[in-house]
Amino acid sequence: MTVHIRMDDRVEADRLEDMAQGVVGKPLDRPDGARKASGTAAYAMDSLPDGACFGVLARATIAAGRLEGVDAAAVEALPGVRAVIVDERMLRNPAQGMAGKAPVQDPHEIAYFGQPVALVVAESFEQARHGAIALVLRLEARAGAVVGPDDAGVEIETPEKKQQSSGDLDAAMREAVFGVDQTYTTPVHASAAMEPHASIAQWDEDRLTLRGSYQMLRFNRAELADALGIDEKNVRILAPFVGGGFGSKLGIAPEAVAAAIAAQRLGVPVAVPMSRQQVFEGVMRRSETTQRIRLAAGADGRLTGIGHEALVSNLPGEKFSEPVTQATPFLYRGENRVIGHRIARVNRTCAGSVRAPGEAVGVTMLEIAMDELAAAAGIDPVELRLRNIPDEDPTQQIPFSSHKLAEALRSGADRFGWDRRRTEPGQVRDGEWLVGMGMASAVRVNMLVEAKARVSLSSDGHALVETDMTDIGTGTYAILTQIAAEMLGLPMDRVETRLGDTDLPPGSGSGGSFGAASNGTAVFMACEEIRRMICERFGCEAHDLTLKDGRAIAGNRSVPLAEILGGEDLVAEGHAEPGDAEDKVRQATYGSYFAEVGVNAVTGETRVRRMLGVFAAGRILNAKTARSQCLGGMTFGIGMALTEEIFHDPRDGHIVNRDFAEYHLPVNADVPQIDVVLLEERDAWANPLQAKGIGELGICGAAAAVVNAIHNATGVRVRDLPATLDKVLEGLERQGG
Amino acid sequence: MPRYARPSTPDEAIALLAEGGWTILAGGTDFYPAQGARPIRDDILDIGAIEALRGIREDKGDIVIGAATSWTEIVRARLPMAFDALKAAAREVGSVQIQNTGTIAGNLCNASPAADGVPALLVLDAEVELASTRGIRRLPLRDFVLGNRRTARAADELVTAIRVPTASAAGRSSFFKLGARRYLVISIAMAAVRVETDLQGRIARCAIAVGACSAVARRLERLEADLVGRPADAAALGVIGERHFDGLAPIDDVRASAVYRMEAAREIVGRALADAFGTTAGQGVAA
Repeated sequence: MTVHIRMDDRVEADRLEDMAQGVVGKPLDRPDGARKASGTAAYAMDSLPDGACFGVLARATIAAGRLEGVDAAAVEALPGVRAVIVDERMLRNPAQGMAGKAPVQDPHEIAYFGQPVALVVAESFEQARHGAIALVLRLEARAGAVVGPDDAGVEIETPEKKQQSSGDLDAAMREAVFGVDQTYTTPVHASAAMEPHASIAQWDEDRLTLRGSYQMLRFNRAELADALGIDEKNVRILAPFVGGGFGSKLGIAPEAVAAAIAAQRLGVPVAVPMSRQQVFEGVMRRSETTQRIRLAAGADGRLTGIGHEALVSNLPGEKFSEPVTQATPFLYRGENRVIGHRIARVNRTCAGSVRAPGEAVGVTMLEIAMDELAAAAGIDPVELRLRNIPDEDPTQQIPFSSHKLAEALRSGADRFGWDRRRTEPGQVRDGEWLVGMGMASAVRVNMLVEAKARVSLSSDGHALVETDMTDIGTGTYAILTQIAAEMLGLPMDRVETRLGDTDLPPGSGSGGSFGAASNGTAVFMACEEIRRMICERFGCEAHDLTLKDGRAIAGNRSVPLAEILGGEDLVAEGHAEPGDAEDKVRQATYGSYFAEVGVNAVTGETRVRRMLGVFAAGRILNAKTARSQCLGGMTFGIGMALTEEIFHDPRDGHIVNRDFAEYHLPVNADVPQIDVVLLEERDAWANPLQAKGIGELGICGAAAAVVNAIHNATGVRVRDLPATLDKVLEGLERQGG
Repeated sequence: MPRYARPSTPDEAIALLAEGGWTILAGGTDFYPAQGARPIRDDILDIGAIEALRGIREDKGDIVIGAATSWTEIVRARLPMAFDALKAAAREVGSVQIQNTGTIAGNLCNASPAADGVPALLVLDAEVELASTRGIRRLPLRDFVLGNRRTARAADELVTAIRVPTASAAGRSSFFKLGARRYLVISIAMAAVRVETDLQGRIARCAIAVGACSAVARRLERLEADLVGRPADAAALGVIGERHFDGLAPIDDVRASAVYRMEAAREIVGRALADAFGTTAGQGVAA
């Protein structure tokens, strides 16, 4: 029995509030935590079938051109080598998130340095790697490859659908009492998930099983089937544990298709692991951005106009482009608006979703511009934002579903001791360190994505939750278990959650912060149906039934579930779908960031001293995993502000710093005490759980708080991230005259 | 097929080296990343099984560090305070895993301008001991590292030890490294100093070296000379001037600009000196 909900309207009843088990929202440990900590959770390469061969990708060393052929015979003669495969079904780059079909195929056409063009398969990994390194590729470089968005001859698209304007921004800028008109840049970022990508393919007749490290299995199954030209019914994907994704594992990637082709040709399982360098070059990058931001304000700081025009890049033919301005249409007031979006077509590693595509870089730069406006207008940055919170979505002119930005700003300022901030920059000195405070708003759009889940209540009072949803370190196992335990009145240890298998009902997949709410709603709906079945058997009305600790309670009766079930199992499937609610109201999550930094006056080093994030994301399903998501996001923010930057070689576009040694993620010693506060909120427009996504909110402006704090500490305004020590020192010296 | 040999004594190793054509492999922490996407075509002489090349001992008053001694072993060894800079540098070589396997001689033979071990060994007046079937010779470290990825080691020679003369194992030392992040980072600039004071608290001898600001880490002899005789306190730092850094030749790269490097070098030399003077709270290196 499938029960369905389409979110067309508010769901007034807060059913979780009526439940008695008391586990939803609690900071409970992950049920899978012990396995992860003890090394017994099996990630992709931990599940090697007997007799598996290994494949290593050989990759192009030109920015654009053709693969005329490979000298296969020499490599096939090496010890252990089983095959050298060049196949037209191989992928140029991973599929974009939720594509559901194959991306550009055919390794003969080369579009970027590092593109996989062949697979060498051997009996051992070392033999395969040796073969891939030794393989001579006959490459024909195409003249006129464009590797950077600023290169001569670059083709720039201006998609009509992505331009927006209302009122007259130019006039608003002319009439503004205070204005900002600045151009900001952010560099290319890497997802840098800890577990490198890997796939193991195994055929049984015409049925393919793929063990991989993927985020969105129902889409990945369709993409893999499409790439191979087979029916998706014949494809099963398993990803029970995924060691981080951050967007890099949204779509099926070259290693999976290559593994499937090789396994079919050789009739043995084939594992294709990628090295860290291959992941950096061959998976997805976040596009660099150039953002012109214009703000026009009256004497009181109220915005009359906002302009946000972005230039991003991607490979030719890719539909995705970093949605830099996604939150700009509704974050602040201002009737005169220009939203611009341009895409440079470049021969660089494919650009795709990296944690919080759009807001991560767009809100960050908008929030730096807001800090500039606050300084220009002599208005406190928190106050400036409070004055500019609109009453409704100013672009679509629809109400907000719920809106906690003001509370997040006020409560954050209060907790952080914002009143101790000196308005004038450069006023606080601690030895050779200049100390300052900065803040920024957080905002991220909220989404619901179709999801199904099955819940089975066994006759002995244990429950099983099943969906192909993934847990990429986010806590899915914990929260789906909690929702079922709450709804069915069971202790946590009597509920098991199975994930990451396309034989199970299709969930939303992990992405866009929508996983918890979407799949949680499907689980919730299934549990509601099971509760209805229990009511039937127990002879009570739904609103009279209490389930707690394995007992059903109604009126003065309290009976063990097993007794009511009488040897029977109850099974239901829940199905959640987005609907008109998305058009009726503007749904988003909000928050605020506060940072205190010390900037060394002689070396220009910036050390974040403390940081606070205050977030509102509807009902919090697990206070521990939610907090962890926010900590991770804010740590990303510190990296974005201070160190993270991919360098492309200007000659051929290859990624120069393609490992953790030279792509500078913050290390523990760079990250100070971070406090996270989660505000009480319910959003009845979001879903029956009244919960919204929190996975990405921690990075949607966090870097701006750090960069604004650098300005408060020193007076130096860095507009091209990251704010490395040489840029900061140069700014200090310029000021010093 | 390339050859692979794993001898267990230095004599076997130098006998093989005399045949020519070998690439020496110790901890492998520089060797493997340097291969990139190329097959290994060299003949590999793996010295990891030669126990005689490991560990720290005294020999006629000199402190002798075996070539294949790991950074972790150096951090854990009981050594005079003059070695504090070397221990601090050892703690900054990559991550703990790297320190557990990377070796001191490997760091010197790799001859990176940003080699963490070189400035601290320069201020200890370290000598490099080389052995071949032709005999044993010693070279001051400054004559051993010749340039970026270039050393004075002949193809048939094996670095067997690093020797620190008794006279240089005196005084207090300090090391500062500056990078784009707090740890796990390749230097933008680094400085090591060693200071000996007399009974009046005046600088009797001092040694100062800067790394990552020239192709080979360099001693700042003019600054050393200008400091001798002054009281070892903050006022002495007033002597430091631009002229003392003339020998450096930093470059612009992804880690920082040349201008920034030069300023950073001046700053961290001052910090390291202040630390070695004891005017800041330097408490040695915890193992």
